[in-house]
Amino acid sequence: MKLNEKKFFELAKLNDLQGADLTASESSSLSVSLFHGEIDSFTNNSSYELVARGIYKGKMGAVSVDNVDKDSPDYLVKEIIRSASIIESNDPVFIFKGSEKYHKKRVGNNADFSENIQKKVGILKKIEQKLLAYDKRINEVISVGYDSSSHVYRKTNSYGLKLSQKMSTYAYIAQVSAKQGDEIRTGFHVFVSYDENEFNIDEFVKKVAEDALEKLGSVQCKSKKYPVVLNPECVATLLSFLISSLDAEEVQKHTSLLEGKLNQEVLSKKLTVIENPLTKNIFFRYFDDEGVATEKKYLFKKGVVSTYLYTLQTAAIDNVNPTGNGYGSGTKAKADVGFIEVKGGKKSEEEMISSIKEGVYLTELQGLHSGVNAQSGNFSLQCAGFMIRDGKKAEPLALITVADNLINVFRNIKCVANNNKLVISNQMSCPSIYVGKLSIGGK
Amino acid sequence: MINKNQAIRILNSGLKTGADYAEIYIEEKDTFSVTIENGKVESSGIRHSYGAGIRLLNKLQSVYGHTNEVNEKSLTKLIENLSASFNEKQCLKIDNLTTKKAKNLSTVKQSFSNTEDNNIIEYLKKGEKVLREYDKRVVRTQASLSYSITKVQIASTKGTNFLDYKERGRCGLMCVAADQGKIETGFEGPGSSSGFEYFLNNIDIEKLAKRTASKTIMMLEAKECPSGKMPVIIGNGFGGTLFHEACGHPLEASSVSKNLSVFSGKIGQQIASPILSAIDDGTIANEWGSNNIDDEGNKTEKTLLIENGILRDYLIDDFNGRRMGRKGNGASRRQSYKYEPTSRMSNTYICAGKSTPEEIIKATKFGLYAKSLEGGQVNPVTGEFNFGCSEAYLIRDGKICEPVRGASVIGTGQDILMKIDMIGNDLKLAQGMCGAASGFIPVDVGQPTIRVSEMTVGGNGGEIK
Repeated sequence: MKLNEKKFFELAKLNDLQGADLTASESSSLSVSLFHGEIDSFTNNSSYELVARGIYKGKMGAVSVDNVDKDSPDYLVKEIIRSASIIESNDPVFIFKGSEKYHKKRVGNNADFSENIQKKVGILKKIEQKLLAYDKRINEVISVGYDSSSHVYRKTNSYGLKLSQKMSTYAYIAQVSAKQGDEIRTGFHVFVSYDENEFNIDEFVKKVAEDALEKLGSVQCKSKKYPVVLNPECVATLLSFLISSLDAEEVQKHTSLLEGKLNQEVLSKKLTVIENPLTKNIFFRYFDDEGVATEKKYLFKKGVVSTYLYTLQTAAIDNVNPTGNGYGSGTKAKADVGFIEVKGGKKSEEEMISSIKEGVYLTELQGLHSGVNAQSGNFSLQCAGFMIRDGKKAEPLALITVADNLINVFRNIKCVANNNKLVISNQMSCPSIYVGKLSIGGK
Repeated sequence: MINKNQAIRILNSGLKTGADYAEIYIEEKDTFSVTIENGKVESSGIRHSYGAGIRLLNKLQSVYGHTNEVNEKSLTKLIENLSASFNEKQCLKIDNLTTKKAKNLSTVKQSFSNTEDNNIIEYLKKGEKVLREYDKRVVRTQASLSYSITKVQIASTKGTNFLDYKERGRCGLMCVAADQGKIETGFEGPGSSSGFEYFLNNIDIEKLAKRTASKTIMMLEAKECPSGKMPVIIGNGFGGTLFHEACGHPLEASSVSKNLSVFSGKIGQQIASPILSAIDDGTIANEWGSNNIDDEGNKTEKTLLIENGILRDYLIDDFNGRRMGRKGNGASRRQSYKYEPTSRMSNTYICAGKSTPEEIIKATKFGLYAKSLEGGQVNPVTGEFNFGCSEAYLIRDGKICEPVRGASVIGTGQDILMKIDMIGNDLKLAQGMCGAASGFIPVDVGQPTIRVSEMTVGGNGGEIK
């Protein structure tokens, strides 16, 4: 059932709300996974999420639901008033009238990737067989799955603003284990796209299998400071924490390590980071959750902090324009980012590594939810990777730790490679970066 | 919710193509949260969720779907769509369901539904004031409370139509302190399967706030932790994160049943030090991780996982139990109707030993005392795990010495469990959220103070001196 939006906005006005908006998100997904050649799990879901917000006596109230009926307009208005009535903060609040211009683009072809599921099961069976045949040390295909999802996102408000966006994507996911003697290592890869022609089964199989195989024979290195190269995944992981320090609210409340650093060169000149939510890929967004148009902008330009990330509220507090970074569903939007690109350098990864006599090449960082303090920038994480010996990747490393500070890492960059790679989990395109010496814990 | 006869008709609609099990899970949940910052209510959140998940099983195949349209027509359509995945002869039909109200393990004296928002706000403000005024280096503070009131119906071809009701609440105190470019964050988050009375009667929020702020300031002054191998003493309560990651997850049937866990096929074998016994108990009255019934409608249980180092049992849900020739032991859980349930922990802890915490520290010449841990992570296939320390000290010559920050500890479960060489008598539980395949669920971790003879410690303080 759809919400009677007209009734909601009429009731909002009748109940003295000084503005109201609705953000609806509808999605349908279908996923199937195999274990030992048989369908192990099949899911078919439809979801609906609605966030209603409104300003009551100068305070923002919000309520979210995943189900609507004919009584919903009354319920939503009543709960917005309840929510707003307890707010005491005097920070300014806004229902946004709209940006001057929105860069709406057609991205993807809105194909229905849930069709021909039997064909997909056939592909999954083929992937499973190819993984097992890839190398005799691949001893188990832990999971192999296909997901398709279709997502419609709509925003309307009492000023007549109407925005919407649709995206359909599909994904292949596989995890294997490889065994050598008593040692077991796992490998994993996920491929996501909106273009059916982009998936290449052999490339996918190779990535999953090699991710496990290359870790066999892992050892711990001696604890000390090593020159460290971060692969694109590790760069994306650490950089995402640093980017969170650009949140203007954190800056205003003195809990950002980038407070007072706007327009200052705090990172290496070799580092340039751009947010471009308008890039035509699966992360495309042309408006944020507050209805503000997103834009391409520098976050760090040649090491200089180029902007903070503003919501409507934090922008008003600093008397600047919002930056299209307001996300979230409660009474208070939080700053977040869309697609990020880190500018690649000139050298290939091999050339970059060739100058390192003894070092560590990191490929995995674990324990992020407890091991990184984004406010201080300090991190201490489980990691894995390879030794670098005489300029080349050597034996694999596992069960080691890396610890340092985010600012130090990105200030002491020695070299940025030219091997940009899309890191799906962080919505980033990143190259490998040689970041200088970091503390590695092992033996 | 739907009535019994509707449930019977829906379930039978899903059985026509050969499914040997069908289940309807309906959940209605109201959540409320409020956050105080700088003496004022900064934000609030209200959410109403109502939907249903349907699962059909056919031998080792599972099909699952969820919808937010909870009526006979929509649920029948969903179950028929799901049943199209099978193409066999009907093997099951149900004629009746017995409606049962799940026995309430937890008593709720002051339901959140009868608690004024302002009473919660007043309570939180007391704690936030103590945090804010503790030290001039405190730059940001928050006190928050969130609660949920959940009604669940689970009708399945096991012949039961369970109705369940639960309330949970958790408060959070967050303190950020800064000095000379250093910033540290402290957090405490007690919770319970109770009404608001748990906080009023059990949590002195001012005392808790003082402890949180004092820990934050101390960590601000702490030196960076050195890295390398050393004995590690892990404090009681949240120290249980170690066992949760190193052993709890790999004992879940989701990985054990497929022979994907380091502990698969090891029942009856010595997997831990002979002084270690461990339990998962979803039946503890009013505990944060407890449930009246699990999310497949089975009674929750107290399961002895390890007895004197010998592996005795796993955490099993009905579906994964099929691969193991076992029935579920009340360990099937999910975040909401949007998730297919699977085997998960509830309140998992290492049993009390004989040593006092003081004896354990005194017996350690040099090592790390990880008094309080943050979250962790594990790969059940390899057993490799990690966790971060929110409060840690170095031990020198049997005494607790300087505090250290930025410590992370890593290892493999199968190795660490054998290296636990002292266990304290001060068992304590602590509350947290656990994320895995079936979403984020409330769990307790717990243990007395324990010592691991050697672990790899990571930190930025250079080599051990």
